[in-house]
Amino acid sequence: VSDALELRPALPALIVAGTGLALLLVQAFSPRGLARSSPGIAILGLGGALWATVAVSAVLPSRVGLAGVLYLDAFAAFFHVLILCCGIVAFLLSPAYLEATGGARGEYYALVCFSIVGMLGLVSARELISLFVALEIMSVSLYALVGFQRDRLTALEAALKYFVTGAFASAFLLYGVAFLYGASGSTSLVRISRALARPEGDLALMALVGTGLLLVGFGFKIASVPFHMWAPDVYQGAPTPVTGFMAAAVKVAALGAMIQVLGGALGGLAVDWRAALALLALLTMVIGNLGALAQENVKRMLAFSSIAHAGYLLTALVAPLPDAATAVLFYLVGYAAVSLAGFGTLAALATQGREPSTLEDLSGLASRRPWLAAGLTLVLISLTGVPISAGFVGKFFLFRAAVEGGYTILAVVGVLTSVLSAYYYLRVVVAMYMRPAQGEDTWGPISPAAGIGLAASVAVVLILGLYPGPVLELAREAALTIR
Amino acid sequence: MASPQAESWLLSALIALPAIGALIVALTPKAAAGLHRWLGIGFSLATFAGSLPLIGGVGRASALRFEQQLPWIPSFGISYHVGIDGLSLWLVILTTFLTPVALLGSWRGISERVKEFNVFMLLLEAGMLGVFCALDLFLFYVFWEAMLIPMYFLIGIWGHERRIYAAVKFFLYTMAGSVLMLVAFIVLYAESGVASFDLLELTGKPVGPELQMWLFGAFALAFAIKVPMFPFHTWLPDAHVEAPTAGSVILAGVLLKMGGYGFLRLAIPLFPNASAAYAPLIGILAVVGILYGALVSLVQTDLKKLVAYSSVAHLGFVMLGIAALTPTSVVGSVYQMLNHGVSTGALFLLVGMLYERRHTRSIAEFGGLRAPMPRFTAVFLLISFSSMAVPGFNGFVGEFLILVGSWPFSAPLTVLASLGVVLAAAYMLWMIQRVFYGEVTQEANARLADLSLREGAVLLPLAALALFMGLASPLFTRAIEPSVTSMIRQVNAQQREQPPVVAEHVPERR
Repeated sequence: VSDALELRPALPALIVAGTGLALLLVQAFSPRGLARSSPGIAILGLGGALWATVAVSAVLPSRVGLAGVLYLDAFAAFFHVLILCCGIVAFLLSPAYLEATGGARGEYYALVCFSIVGMLGLVSARELISLFVALEIMSVSLYALVGFQRDRLTALEAALKYFVTGAFASAFLLYGVAFLYGASGSTSLVRISRALARPEGDLALMALVGTGLLLVGFGFKIASVPFHMWAPDVYQGAPTPVTGFMAAAVKVAALGAMIQVLGGALGGLAVDWRAALALLALLTMVIGNLGALAQENVKRMLAFSSIAHAGYLLTALVAPLPDAATAVLFYLVGYAAVSLAGFGTLAALATQGREPSTLEDLSGLASRRPWLAAGLTLVLISLTGVPISAGFVGKFFLFRAAVEGGYTILAVVGVLTSVLSAYYYLRVVVAMYMRPAQGEDTWGPISPAAGIGLAASVAVVLILGLYPGPVLELAREAALTIR
Repeated sequence: MASPQAESWLLSALIALPAIGALIVALTPKAAAGLHRWLGIGFSLATFAGSLPLIGGVGRASALRFEQQLPWIPSFGISYHVGIDGLSLWLVILTTFLTPVALLGSWRGISERVKEFNVFMLLLEAGMLGVFCALDLFLFYVFWEAMLIPMYFLIGIWGHERRIYAAVKFFLYTMAGSVLMLVAFIVLYAESGVASFDLLELTGKPVGPELQMWLFGAFALAFAIKVPMFPFHTWLPDAHVEAPTAGSVILAGVLLKMGGYGFLRLAIPLFPNASAAYAPLIGILAVVGILYGALVSLVQTDLKKLVAYSSVAHLGFVMLGIAALTPTSVVGSVYQMLNHGVSTGALFLLVGMLYERRHTRSIAEFGGLRAPMPRFTAVFLLISFSSMAVPGFNGFVGEFLILVGSWPFSAPLTVLASLGVVLAAAYMLWMIQRVFYGEVTQEANARLADLSLREGAVLLPLAALALFMGLASPLFTRAIEPSVTSMIRQVNAQQREQPPVVAEHVPERR
């Protein structure tokens, strides 16, 4: 292949990997002073990767990839920017939180960087083995991050659970890859797509089994029902900025890969997997929302809500590709911003080893932190899917795709479960605005960096709700490059 | 007259003005309660002043005026399209009129978190104006839903004892109604083949009759909950009773009108065949609402609840007129929406003033108020006359037009509905007798202060309007008539074009 030595598509990931290594070295060899600059170095690194993404994708023809494996086409570039921005916001939120909860160690930033490398690979891989490797790079870093606060039992439990279920998911995925290889004779997405355009007989069966196994693997990663059980414990046990980062970026990256594989490579089998996916979406919406309804802990509630949102996202995938992918890509931008801002708000209030977890902890927040409360309210409005917010516009296009795909029922279940979700999201608003503040204001001051991160996320939510046109166009362009 | 360019921006400016006001109030320091009140009143009055040229601009035209269309999400056929005609003109004016009245009415009643109160009231006004001006389904939905949020906060923060319950119930109930309408929008977009969410383009090409039945059902559910029509009214007493006075005034005065307006602007023109098929059901439910609302009002012991249930009855009349869909009845319905806004808005203000003095709304706690509060009593009587449709007052004109116009639709329903007029007189007069006449039974009532200057200033415009709209109704109806007639003509023409709705054979669509 002529583009075998074309390294440019991997440049952003290489920069992030380099940043991660540099962070480790700084941590190991530098005096205390330089180690404290880890978040700054990490943000600079991601900024560089962001620049590289834009610069490379502007000049690189979309058909040129690294050894026919990694590409930086419009689709990958869209996800690169999104994931890198998630990383930057997470880095803005982390220092104050780690300071407050007593776990400020440099490898934290390096681990986040390595997980981002995996995510970038995941969305630019157009070949199943490298896709699997990228997924593992991402996951292994995250296992460690979840258990980062190693003196807390919940953190250890979460890390172990995540690791065990994650290993299962990987096994399913790998098994699926094997079946697909058997059916098509290749691991390249384009070749699979050609080989399985009109599969027949045993080959079709083999391909279907492979598809099913892949669905299970991806289902674990995006926490769709019935592969969601790990999510509440892991989201609750992980350091809160990591939770926000996971809820946002992992879902983004996994869905990016899922669209490429299902929509692109396995598009020929769509008639077969569509109904299964619709069922998964339906169950995920219903069970995610019902689960959230029962939660008292805000972090757990948000965890279940992120399960529910995986369900909303899946509804769009039953539609023909460009429509489905446009809707999903647009929704992911708003959803990532909302997740980071939601968990980030909790993280930003952390102080002296504690952080708000129950509704009582948030009582009367509006009178003490009016802007923080207003921001969180907008986030909850967006999660509910009420205008004027990214969540409303996003859901509108997701459900529109579902209707276009012939699954009006998914749209109906989607909007009705959204009403259900209004109940538990509103409980937080009730606590913040309608209940009196209790006792002294013991929560910590909001650090400037965290303030910037939160404000930026909330601004994205608002802007996408008011003027979604430009981002929607970008999402469309990205969707059209899927082969 | 202003240039067409300036004219096309007027509605957008009116929608934006309160929103900008809300932003400015939000940015002022927390402690300056007086400043917040003045800014709130100032911006809402400016909006009212800005809305007055609309009256002359709409005139007697049947077409849309003050139209503006800007691309918003062009690749999906979504545009920012606003405009008004005779259907919406007076509802827009009602909104801009009632908002400053409600703000002035709560000058004293709201003493905590004044800043947030003004922010939410102004945001609410912007949302309501948007609903009445929107001509794109997506835009309509954005305003329709976004409006829930400020109202939710108004009830939940400044309401009475069970405010949180009422606020959540209000939000969930109305959201549950609206979301299916959103799906119906999407299906309509997918099936109509016009690739646009623009109302005018979609009304030009109705979808097949069977699909119309489903979609109309989804629309009707959303609007019926908002109206509220029996049996979807159960959120209303809770929301009204628990809301602060300003919230009740806006809720009754403007928000409820959006249901009726939605039928007239969206559901009926978009689904002409289905609306004909559903008309008997809507007519029956409307009359049930009239009688049920009146009977329940009769047994209320709480003043605010009585006014709330009387709304169910009054809006039953509106829905009867809409179901009949004759030019006379629909003009009557639109007029009755305005009347209800004025009279019920005023009643909620009056009840609120009593509550501020005595901190109770129980009818049994009062009695003989005529002696200490003669001016208050006079205004209350006048507004009650308007509410129970005494000739010479605005309520009479509306209910009369509705009843006359509904006769050809269904004589039995019209007869039953006119019973509601009698019942209205019964519950209002009986309540007045218990509250204002007889001996002063409670020590606390003997020394109640009469209307203050501010309260007088709040009530005077409403009372004057109640009389003026009763005596000079043609001044108002002549702007409504042309739009109503042309809408009905279009609906009738489309009903003839399409075969009648008989579900003998449902063709496979996919």
